[in-house]
Amino acid sequence: MDQGIITAIRTVPLDHYVLLSFLLFGIGAAGVALRRNTIIVLMCIELMFNSVNLLLAAFSAHHSDPRGQVFVFFIMLVAAAEVTVGLSILVMMKRIVDSVDVNQLNRLKG
Amino acid sequence: MEPISTPHDYLPVLVQAAIAVGFVGFALSAAAFLGPRLHGRKKEESFECGIEQQGDARRPFSVKYLLIAILFVLFDVEVIFLYPWAVNFKALGAVGFVEMVVFVGFVLAGLYYVLRKGVMRIE
Amino acid sequence: MAALFYILAAISVISALTVVGARNPVNSVIALVVCFLSIAGHYVLLNAQFLAMVHVIVYTGAIMVLFLFVIMLLNLNKPGGPRKSLAMRLAAAVAGGLLFLTLAAAVRQGVAITPAAGFDPGVGLVRHVGQVLFTEFLLPFEVSSVLFLSAIVGVVMLAKKDKDEAPDPHITGPERARRTA
Repeated sequence: MDQGIITAIRTVPLDHYVLLSFLLFGIGAAGVALRRNTIIVLMCIELMFNSVNLLLAAFSAHHSDPRGQVFVFFIMLVAAAEVTVGLSILVMMKRIVDSVDVNQLNRLKG
Repeated sequence: MEPISTPHDYLPVLVQAAIAVGFVGFALSAAAFLGPRLHGRKKEESFECGIEQQGDARRPFSVKYLLIAILFVLFDVEVIFLYPWAVNFKALGAVGFVEMVVFVGFVLAGLYYVLRKGVMRIE
Repeated sequence: MAALFYILAAISVISALTVVGARNPVNSVIALVVCFLSIAGHYVLLNAQFLAMVHVIVYTGAIMVLFLFVIMLLNLNKPGGPRKSLAMRLAAAVAGGLLFLTLAAAVRQGVAITPAAGFDPGVGLVRHVGQVLFTEFLLPFEVSSVLFLSAIVGVVMLAKKDKDEAPDPHITGPERARRTA
């Protein structure tokens, strides 16, 4: 049984996890550059967070080291805190300049 | 040696998800094939009788609820820490208890701030 | 098992592309939820069960609901909105593709890791992750509670409007009308 689990985790080569993670990261990065709607930009940032999380988890499982998964856990917590603050900034932006266009944020310059 | 749960143990979840999706797909497509279809202004209203409906359900709601939703997310994430702690409660002993008391103390400080600011008061 | 991985990977990539490409923000959110659920499936395949659970609770259950909430709150549930010019969009897509190609070329030799002395398949279970979290990562754990405290205070400061405040000359739009009324 034990051997079965090991082969189950290792059937998929690590390279494929790495490539999938890079692909998701590339899509997220392209989305950040592509879209002007701030809420979509935030969502693309979440996508990039998750591609990195997947990479950490894959290495952690293949290396059988739980520390990688604890890292992923902390990344998720920081992402949650970041999203709450980011979305409240977004709502304030909508109330003050009546737009969710990222280009409008250049008003921050002094 | 206790048994280790493996990805194979999640097979029932997959089967259940497949059944759920399959039932929804089957019911929706069967309804489209079997039922008669009538179109008309009266027929497409949500309620045939009663109070006249106004607008649609997708209207913006008050900003007051935003803070409550955001605070829900923050406290929800904090509760996640309690699961691994509860599983390891005996192994961690008194030190683990003190660790969690400090953590929950900070969280309660946040809750006290929220209550003092009157965020939860919706007039 | 391997076939399941490729199916999940295809779902992840297609839904991620939908997130970027959808005209309606609500469709983007739904696509991102699908993407996150498929990533939770990857965690289950890796036997990282604690992560799979936390991922579903935090991302799908809390963060995406918050996104949807804000979209409804700001009345953004219509297609359209500001768009970049075609040249800019093309440049962004090419830049993202090049980033992927660069990263992929960096690992084209394959990734070789030396496994730990004994392979432990139960590494991702709640008990193991919890043990490491509450012993080795004690300081980050306590610091994260301070992070949450600051996030709570920040959110309340940002979103709570005080009763009596003078109208700010820099504020335009409906907020100014609301405040000066």
